[in-house]
Amino acid sequence: MKVKFFAHLRDLTQCGETEIAAQGTLTPDALWSALEQRFPGIIRHKTHTRLARNFTYADAGAIFHEGDEIALIPPVSGG
Amino acid sequence: MDKPEIKILVTQDPLKPHGAPPEGCGAVVEFSGIVRGEEEGRPISALEYQAYEPMAVRELERLIRELLAQIPCASVRVSHRIGVIPVGESAIILQVASPHRGAAFSFATAFMDRLKQDVPIWKIKPIP
Repeated sequence: MKVKFFAHLRDLTQCGETEIAAQGTLTPDALWSALEQRFPGIIRHKTHTRLARNFTYADAGAIFHEGDEIALIPPVSGG
Repeated sequence: MDKPEIKILVTQDPLKPHGAPPEGCGAVVEFSGIVRGEEEGRPISALEYQAYEPMAVRELERLIRELLAQIPCASVRVSHRIGVIPVGESAIILQVASPHRGAAFSFATAFMDRLKQDVPIWKIKPIP
């Protein structure tokens, strides 16, 4: 699945997006673990970051599937 | 009230005014958020904004429809600029039109509060 990064998380990862291979499905916690392996330190942003699945905010019970577009949404500041 | 008109634009281009509201509206509230010449006490020449564009458009529409269910208005038009925005230029222009002023003011205030909570747009970098 594709995972997209924005704002300071894009600076941390040095990329706009990455691919995470999911054998079936991933929970939010499993996704964060996979991201931490690839981008050490990213997990410290977990409590302030919302997850979106296919352009909609995902709740804690979400299940991510192969082919989903996931986004890490740090606190927003538009307007 | 007829079905409300909704217009949403997220663009890299300078923003233009929204133009005349629908007929029959006695109240039009317009808000423009303008880039100021300082950020955290330091002078800047511009601010850079970033958006997750497809989700930002969806969230703007979801937010507008949710608020319209609580505060009926005749039309809501919003444009948000992203990329590098020079000081003095608009980052956002909102226009809300309704038959009477109370709804238009209430909608505009609620919308701007919620935009800053839910819509995936970020001020990412002040430019000296």
